[in-house]
Amino acid sequence: MNTLVAQRKRNTLGTIGRNWVLVFLVLEFGYFAILTRGFASLNIVQMILFYGTEVFLLATAELFVIITGGIDLSVGYVLGFATVISSKLMVVFASRGLSPLGAIVTSILITLCVGLIPGFVNGVLVAKLRVPPFIATFSMLGVCQGVSELLMQGIPAKNLPPLAGTIGNGHFLYIVPGSGISFMQRPDVARGVRVIEIIPNAVVFALVFIAIFAFILTKTRFGQHIYAIGGNIDAASRAGIDVKKHIIGVYMISSFFASLAGIIYVMKYITGKADAGAASLLDAIAAVVIGGASMFGGSGTVWRTILGCLVIATLETGLRMRGTPTFDKYILVGVILIFTVVIERFFPDFKR
Amino acid sequence: MPRPQMPHDTPTPFVQTRTGKLLGRHWALFFLLGMMAIFAFTGPGFFEVVNFQNIIHLATISILLAVAETFVIITGGIDLSVGFVMGLSSTLAARIMVTLGSTGMGEPMLIVLGTLAGLLVAFIPGFISGTLVARFKVPPFIATLGMWGICNGITLHLCDGFLPIAGLPSVLPRLGNGYLFYIHKGQSFTLFKKPDYIPDERVRELIRLVPFSFILIAAVVLVFWYILHKSKFGQHTYAIGGNIDAAIRAGIDVDRHLVKIYMLSAFLAGLAGVFNVFQTGIGNYTTFSSMYELFAVAAVVIGGASLLGGKGRIVGSMVGVLVLAVLKNGLAISGVQPFVRYIAVGVLLTLAVIIDQLFPDLF
Repeated sequence: MNTLVAQRKRNTLGTIGRNWVLVFLVLEFGYFAILTRGFASLNIVQMILFYGTEVFLLATAELFVIITGGIDLSVGYVLGFATVISSKLMVVFASRGLSPLGAIVTSILITLCVGLIPGFVNGVLVAKLRVPPFIATFSMLGVCQGVSELLMQGIPAKNLPPLAGTIGNGHFLYIVPGSGISFMQRPDVARGVRVIEIIPNAVVFALVFIAIFAFILTKTRFGQHIYAIGGNIDAASRAGIDVKKHIIGVYMISSFFASLAGIIYVMKYITGKADAGAASLLDAIAAVVIGGASMFGGSGTVWRTILGCLVIATLETGLRMRGTPTFDKYILVGVILIFTVVIERFFPDFKR
Repeated sequence: MPRPQMPHDTPTPFVQTRTGKLLGRHWALFFLLGMMAIFAFTGPGFFEVVNFQNIIHLATISILLAVAETFVIITGGIDLSVGFVMGLSSTLAARIMVTLGSTGMGEPMLIVLGTLAGLLVAFIPGFISGTLVARFKVPPFIATLGMWGICNGITLHLCDGFLPIAGLPSVLPRLGNGYLFYIHKGQSFTLFKKPDYIPDERVRELIRLVPFSFILIAAVVLVFWYILHKSKFGQHTYAIGGNIDAAIRAGIDVDRHLVKIYMLSAFLAGLAGVFNVFQTGIGNYTTFSSMYELFAVAAVVIGGASLLGGKGRIVGSMVGVLVLAVLKNGLAISGVQPFVRYIAVGVLLTLAVIIDQLFPDLF
């Protein structure tokens, strides 16, 4: 009887321990909600999601690489590279007489294809030439920065089709209380009539891709192999997994997500520049680690990574609304980052 | 009777011949010399004493950070915080000088106190990352990335957002950019100070030799070369990087040693920060896109160290820094767009590691 109670107690503790990020996120949100008026509202939650979109994507990119025991330092500048390419292409296509929608879709498709190249090169360097991931991806960071600065020549892209901004800053669902709903398109209502906007397009777009790849990671053989490689690379190759192919694939997924983030950046801010993602690298890696992945590989889930992103994004929005200087964020992210790893050292059985 | 074909009968591959090994071991040096030869033709004014002096003077911070990173990388770790520890020291030193200056304290006292504060504060992040790595077994990447964020935040607090701290004693940049010898051709020769009869605008007529920064670099490199290659501390550093379990069994207090290594690294970063104040005359925060830590790691790796630990030399890292510095200066003088440098550094770095893989048994 006693043991049963103890066991149940331990289970409760274990559940909290395993999901401490979620608990922390709730506490954090509660803290800001109590201290800041109007924080616990639909708009603020959507704002957190909206401004966090790029970091969601970069963190997912980083997660795949970190599961294999690597690191991808280039994601931030691959994002910048993608913003430069897609914005330039949109301007060119639109000026050549393509319809705005056609120009946008074509440039997005081309950017996504070109965005695979840095990942492919990274993968080949890491898998075939045995360059440490840190060095290979730092080299790629330099190359991407150089190439995008060369393409940009110091001038951020201008004159993008306005439709890009409309899509990027639009919402998925609009509700006009009492008169109806509409998808994707802002209803024509008189000024002053309240329109409830639900889920920004950018977030929907990002979450669809994140969900697809979360499925790939957990439910497919490819995903299982990635965990196997990160857990023990020798065992994985003895078990007949083509390790090199998988690692190349993982780095390509990473740069695919980074270019996706770049495209979303262009649609949101209607510009493209080489250092668009420079400051997001810390956030992306921190989110993955806060989400419980190990830098040595073999563990980490998309769901927890997103929680990690939310911890950082809530912090940033909360601090901004409280009027504290935003650079306090860096201190707190650093502290949370270290704290996470120390917690997991002390309670190793909390891990899955 | 024909001899059976034995594996060792195949011709020795180039990488195992004497020349091959020599080239492989010192490829960065040969690369540096080759690059200088090319720039001598493409860049007017590249191959001059004054220009070389400039290259090294401007690379002082990179050299200090690379020495710091060499120690950490030899133990198999990495210190991502050096760039921001540098910013912290720089802004704190400047802030203290400005604050004390407003109380009317004398300039020499002010500078001494500011410098000391800048140097001492660096030990704190070093101690914390070292403790996290050694006692709490936090991976160095994470521990120092955390310090990266914390130092950056505190630095930005010190400089009220994104404003460099100005209003420091004007003697600072003169000290930081001073020279040992000033020669006015055929007329005068002075030590430490330019001759009084030449105003600031005409200072370019002088031949200025041996910047003070050389003395700092020489002292740091000599001291840390001695520590790494001649002292027990250095031996233990290599032992930990080579095989940490063996080092523990051999009775080395690994935890303590690692804390010391990270403190040493942060101290050098602090020195770089204080030097930065002397060089620029203001307290600079570190920007995101400067990536000091990554370039320091790049220099160390080009200099032949391995990120897995156990390998690396101070002189090699110096060559690594010079390769990057000469590349930057030479490309600029040759009129190549500055962005090309990023690409060149990237390609070079990967090349360094691939060459390193080709010669596995060298170092």
